[in-house]
Amino acid sequence: MRVFAGLKLDKAGKVGALSGKRRRTSSRRSRGGSISLNLQPENATAREMRLCQKLRRCSIRPSLIGPRRNNPIPPQSFMKKHPLSLSLAVLISLTVSLSAQEQTDEATTSLGAQYEGIVNIECNSLEVDYQAPWNPATPGGGTGTGFLIGPNLFLTNAHVVSDASRLVIRKVGDPQPYRAKVKHIAHDCDLALLELTQPVKAFEKVKPLQVGDAVPKLDTTVKVIGFPIGGERITVTRGVVSRVDYQDYSHSGVDQHLAIQIDAAINPGNSGGPVLQGNSVVGVAFQGYSGSVAQNTGYMIPTPVIQRFLKDVEDGSYDRYVDLSIAHFELLNPAQRKALGLPDDSIGVLVANVDAEGSCAGVLKHGDVMLAIDGHAIKSNGMIEIEGEEVEMAEVVERKFSGDKLKLRFWRDKQQQEAEITLKNVEHHLMTATKYEYRPNYVTFAGLVFQPMGAGMMGAHNITNLRTRYFYQYFASDELYKVKPQPVVLTNIMPDSINTHIREYTGQIVDEINGVKIKKLKDVTEALAKDPEGGCITIRLLGEGRPIALDKKEAAAAQQRILKKYLIGEPAFIE
Amino acid sequence: MFVTRFLIAAALAAAFCFTSTAAAHGPSPEKSMLRVNITSQAWNFALPWQKMNPSTRRGLGALLSENRVLVTAELAQDASYLELEIASSGRKLVSRVEAVDYELNLATIVPVEDPGDFFAGMVPLEVDTSLKPKAPLTIWQFEANGAPVSSTAELSRADLAPYFLEDTSLLIFQANGAVQYRAGTFTLPVVHEGKLAGMLIRYNSRDQVSDIIPPSIIDRFLKDVETAPYDGVPNFGAKTAQTLDPQLRRLLKIDSLEGGILITSVTPGFSAEKSGLKENDVILEVAGHKIDSRGNYTDPDLGLLSAGHLIRSAPVGGIVKMKIHRDGKPVDVDVKMERRPASDYLVDPYMFDRGPRYLLLGGLLFQELTQPYLQLGGREWRERSPFRLLFARENQEDFLREGRRKLVFLSGVLPSPSIQGYESLRSLIVTKVNDVPVNDIKDLAGAFAAPINGVHKIEFSDFPKLIHVDAAAAEQDNKEFLPARYRINKLQRLE
Repeated sequence: MRVFAGLKLDKAGKVGALSGKRRRTSSRRSRGGSISLNLQPENATAREMRLCQKLRRCSIRPSLIGPRRNNPIPPQSFMKKHPLSLSLAVLISLTVSLSAQEQTDEATTSLGAQYEGIVNIECNSLEVDYQAPWNPATPGGGTGTGFLIGPNLFLTNAHVVSDASRLVIRKVGDPQPYRAKVKHIAHDCDLALLELTQPVKAFEKVKPLQVGDAVPKLDTTVKVIGFPIGGERITVTRGVVSRVDYQDYSHSGVDQHLAIQIDAAINPGNSGGPVLQGNSVVGVAFQGYSGSVAQNTGYMIPTPVIQRFLKDVEDGSYDRYVDLSIAHFELLNPAQRKALGLPDDSIGVLVANVDAEGSCAGVLKHGDVMLAIDGHAIKSNGMIEIEGEEVEMAEVVERKFSGDKLKLRFWRDKQQQEAEITLKNVEHHLMTATKYEYRPNYVTFAGLVFQPMGAGMMGAHNITNLRTRYFYQYFASDELYKVKPQPVVLTNIMPDSINTHIREYTGQIVDEINGVKIKKLKDVTEALAKDPEGGCITIRLLGEGRPIALDKKEAAAAQQRILKKYLIGEPAFIE
Repeated sequence: MFVTRFLIAAALAAAFCFTSTAAAHGPSPEKSMLRVNITSQAWNFALPWQKMNPSTRRGLGALLSENRVLVTAELAQDASYLELEIASSGRKLVSRVEAVDYELNLATIVPVEDPGDFFAGMVPLEVDTSLKPKAPLTIWQFEANGAPVSSTAELSRADLAPYFLEDTSLLIFQANGAVQYRAGTFTLPVVHEGKLAGMLIRYNSRDQVSDIIPPSIIDRFLKDVETAPYDGVPNFGAKTAQTLDPQLRRLLKIDSLEGGILITSVTPGFSAEKSGLKENDVILEVAGHKIDSRGNYTDPDLGLLSAGHLIRSAPVGGIVKMKIHRDGKPVDVDVKMERRPASDYLVDPYMFDRGPRYLLLGGLLFQELTQPYLQLGGREWRERSPFRLLFARENQEDFLREGRRKLVFLSGVLPSPSIQGYESLRSLIVTKVNDVPVNDIKDLAGAFAAPINGVHKIEFSDFPKLIHVDAAAAEQDNKEFLPARYRINKLQRLE
């Protein structure tokens, strides 16, 4: 399920719940001394933070455990991450020598065969720089946990191995670091499969862990195993299943799936490690809150999400989750039901928004009432029953794959209708998602830096321009992708005599260059290459009446000078 | 931020200069200045049926002819009770605000009833409209015990700066010299050769610079007050950009000309647009003065000054002649200067002395959007307030073109039986009610008079876009639930 543009798709009930939370936090004592519950203007940033976590980190958002990219300063102590460079080499050698020395101890204490498949993963990664996108990425890294689930196949979190430049797996009691690589990675559900570059004997006799199918029941005991806070010894913590609910998956910043909250200690370095019930894996530890927000709340990715991932990659590639791409609203008001001509049976949710390019486009429209999904009646709070369990209606979609069919029963003009849709995922939902394995795109010209809109770029440049923020927040819901599929922002101006009068115009969306509408970054290079009338390049920014004029000849000369002065290797990088 | 309100900043200023009172029969602090005690009570923009807690402030007013006392609008804002006080004797007189202009930051106060001998022996001030740079100024205050205090400063320069409302820049005089703080003062009268030469509104203690509302503005205000109806200052309604950039000048084909500023947008319905000015026009001359590429002209008396002064100091209904450059040709435009009061804007830029318009239906609270509502977000309201509402304020033109007069929105919900299921809704712009477009709060009230089959149909521009409320149930909540549970008896303010 995807969260986008101020709406939580497929899950309006959650919208209410979230805004309720915001209300409480933002209600202030007004000057007159009266407390207003929800009549003060809501705090826009609270919503924006969900969309743009890099812009300002939300303290309520679960932070990732284990290494985490694109965040040079680790918030709290919640990630296990070491700075690069020489100190890393020292750390590694220290680790190796220590484990060699104590190998015999571990053999005699016998950890038990079931823990043998649990490994420490060390990742060296590259952190890209959206502020100076021409710079090579900054090396960094961290450690997490993973576990063997098949022959030469290790499961871990996507955030443990994202943007990896080098991956090493370590087995308990074995001094040898084994080189590994990512086989499949799913950023939308924070899972990855690794394999050793060369299968080794050491793992031949190790029994893989079994991933179960069942979601553990509330209040049942689970064990979390991993390598938190560094160290090469396995750590075990124990707790109970506290809650089963949908949660934001903070790795991508835009996805929501089922997650299980447990009260066993989960700490940095635990990420990617198995959560066991008996001898069976019931989840993968992946995120938690910092202690200042909530105590004893860790989250694990439950088996349905893991099994879906494993099934998705069976064909050799990962195709991402699919989505209904609609927003719905609970039908709890009797007058609403009466006006829509619905019987008083507490069934049905109002379709409030339909994504024009989503799975339901052309089938559902705003004002329809969804009654059933694949035969499951939808209650007026958006819940359905599957196998005796009350779950969100999105759960039906969560279990399906791209291209799968889904039956809908809905209410329109006081009549019941049926339709079958084909599920798909939508590209424009990914605009606000955090990108991985991605080199920032850019074009520089005469000191002007153009970048496509995205989470990384918005955060790095701290954009305050209202129109630019509007495009970012309402890109999907206001169908802005139809006008500008890839909005291009003038993010920065590298000072030079040619641009000395225009530096205040950064942070705005580029609308037109030399009369060409800019719909994506590629258009910028093409439009700049044109021979403009009178030798003067004209750049128009969206909503800004003052055009930017650049003398083409002077700009060409300035281009070389600026690239050299600011050490910009390539004038542009477009993927 | 070095410039702070005088009240605070001056407390830190070192005492510098004392001069004793003026001649026995002429104007002097004790004979021409009064204390003004004002109790202000602003409306609560979150809970529009009530006011905030009252607060009392003390300021100084300059006595003018006909028992008028001049103060700043900032002091007189949202006044619910006020007294004039003779500093030496402590004698008080109940008074009222006669006229107030929040853009000019000026107000006049007059007695409520016949003052009797209250003003006996007092000497009213005249306004000095012939003030020149370097003029020596005297700034008047009272000690806590009523004894007069004077400080001196020298008029140094003129500029355009905001007075009280942050979006309005008008002519300001700056004076150099230390001003020491005395208890109970808010804004201070400034005197030159026994005549009123301005009102001090800000003082920067670090640089010892005072910002003073100039006498020309005071004179204009007083004359306007005396001749009803009150006109105020006109609004131009255009955004401009400098043309210093030689590359821009070539693009605009003004590289062979001198100076000029570029019009980057015009607001529909305002003076600039109605007089035919357009985006991309370059203003070269205003009222016979050449405009440089920063947008300044050289004033014969005041030196280099923004052309905004020429435009805003024109009388309402008057003509400002402009020479502009359009599509490579010179064009003369007569701009008829009209006033657009705050209520003419889609989103009122300010609102004092009255509460916002609102309507309660069941527990749904609808309001007309105002800037004070957005400012509830605190100092960072431009970042923090509800995005859709902020964006609407920034792009009022789009809504005005749609025919909206005001932006009606659902500001929040008081949970009540008739609106069950809608408790989480807030900050939603209303488009239609019962199939009738809603362009202001009166439209909304009218639309609610005609429910469809006993149900109100309410449409918003955003999620969930459509809700329904039972008309009879909402009416019952209005009559019983809201008064009983929330103690709200005033369910609407449409005027």
